[in-house]
Amino acid sequence: MGPHVELENVSKFYEARDKTHALHEVSFGIDHGEFVTIVGPSGCGKSTLLKIMAGIDAPTSGEVRFQGGPVRGPHDKISMVFQGFGLFPWRTVLENVEYGLEMRKTPKPDRRARSREYIEMVGLAGYEHMYPKQLSGGMRQRVGIARALAVEPEVVLMDEAFSAIDEVTADVLREEVADIHKETGKTFVLVTHNLSEAIELADKVVVLSSRPAKVKKILPISLERPRDRTHSLFVHMHHDILHLLKEELENTLIRHKLREIREVQSLHDMEAPKKETPTRERSNSVAAASSPSKANAIREETI
Amino acid sequence: MEVSVEKQKALALSLTGRVLSENMLTNYLWVIPLGMGFVAWELITRLNLVPQANLPTFSGVLGVFFLSIQQPSFLLRIAHSFLNLSLGLMLAFATALPIAFVAGSKNKFDLTFTPLIMLFGALPDLSFLPLLVLWFGAGSVAAVIMASLAGFFPIYFTVRDGTRNIPKELFEVTSVFKSNRLSTFTKMVLPAISPHMFSGLRLAYDFGWEIIIAIEIATRAAGIGSFIEGSVSGGSLDSGFAAILAIALVAVVVDRVFFGSLESWAKKWA
Repeated sequence: MGPHVELENVSKFYEARDKTHALHEVSFGIDHGEFVTIVGPSGCGKSTLLKIMAGIDAPTSGEVRFQGGPVRGPHDKISMVFQGFGLFPWRTVLENVEYGLEMRKTPKPDRRARSREYIEMVGLAGYEHMYPKQLSGGMRQRVGIARALAVEPEVVLMDEAFSAIDEVTADVLREEVADIHKETGKTFVLVTHNLSEAIELADKVVVLSSRPAKVKKILPISLERPRDRTHSLFVHMHHDILHLLKEELENTLIRHKLREIREVQSLHDMEAPKKETPTRERSNSVAAASSPSKANAIREETI
Repeated sequence: MEVSVEKQKALALSLTGRVLSENMLTNYLWVIPLGMGFVAWELITRLNLVPQANLPTFSGVLGVFFLSIQQPSFLLRIAHSFLNLSLGLMLAFATALPIAFVAGSKNKFDLTFTPLIMLFGALPDLSFLPLLVLWFGAGSVAAVIMASLAGFFPIYFTVRDGTRNIPKELFEVTSVFKSNRLSTFTKMVLPAISPHMFSGLRLAYDFGWEIIIAIEIATRAAGIGSFIEGSVSGGSLDSGFAAILAIALVAVVVDRVFFGSLESWAKKWA
């Protein structure tokens, strides 16, 4: 049996405005029941990669395969947990958890029962009829997790699932997610910028490079669970990954510098009769690098 | 963990409870200044500070009001105006909602059409009235079209803004869970924009009343507006005031019952 999920040369360009090269031939495999975390410099395209795995964004080239078959759109067995929770504020906890099943036309009594089961699993029994605004951030994400699990997926994708939650609550929730992973044996993929979190949860950490993101390194983590963040191996791991990412940041800075030098050079080459154009180009390219327009691109595609 | 969860739940319940009981009292505070206004009106006319030919007494108006609402013809006039208004608003809603939704979600469409719509919105709606009367006669058709014009803009702009403000993430949620286009619209977009939409509808309703009454006064078309005009120019001010009172009553009741219930639904979660 091959890997549960497999990425093969996944590349992504955004056509909108500037041609941003977000992902460059990303390839790796995820085994059945494995917990994989993906880290990378901010804005490198980690979330894009996850959206491609979820089938809600398409790669420009390359392929994501689930159980050997290509993922060409949202898949029944692939579910997702969102950074901003993605709850519908007009729905109660129960109705939010039911949403996925409702879209699958599961009969009402059935989806009620199943949703209650998962609400209990995430420790929200008794809150079924509350609205998201009545819940804390941590509780909201519990709802998001219950909704993702209620459709009984085989792969759970988590996009920065703990980053909008206060540290202590996030810590508790991480432990619970680790337990859920152990209990259910589902495949989990978490995108994060929190390195400790990545090491704590993962069977393997995929380190991406800066934009365009490539796989920089894949580190298997064989530390015993539950993991102790003060364990010397943990600390070493953390140090190593941090070093890799810092290296990437430096590379980015160097690339920016090189580009500036090249532009100044070309400005000289033109012997400056049209001074305006190159300078404007330069400021554009810097702005583009610091504020990618991926938000717009995705918005247009999803509507 | 369990204890803190129980505590939070109790706190949330007690908070919602307190808000509710406070609302019960504060919801009716407006009765006090209203009553004081009526008393002042009665005093001013009784003391002849204003001649009764210009302002009838409040008690006199109230008497005529109770007589009037027993007359079918009077009630029919109110119903007529209200029907024109409702039809106009439905037309406005049916046209503004889809266009506004597309404008809110597609940038190019928005840039192409919204400036035009703003241009039309800036024109005083009533300036079209003579044309509409020419084309359709001084009747319900012109009134319904005018009310829909007046209602179009508040609905359009609130729905467009509401659509723009839907977090991108919610669209991703609908995609991940394989929602089709129709259920994305009915189960996600519509509820998400509803608080905006409700305030747009309420504004449209207010504008609509004004326009309907203005048209009826100007064209003497059937309705309660022409009744006011007839009463006042015929010298029976108390009938005119009674009609205004009746409009106010209908307007307030619909506002409270219809929009009130819509908004209290939105308040539960928004």
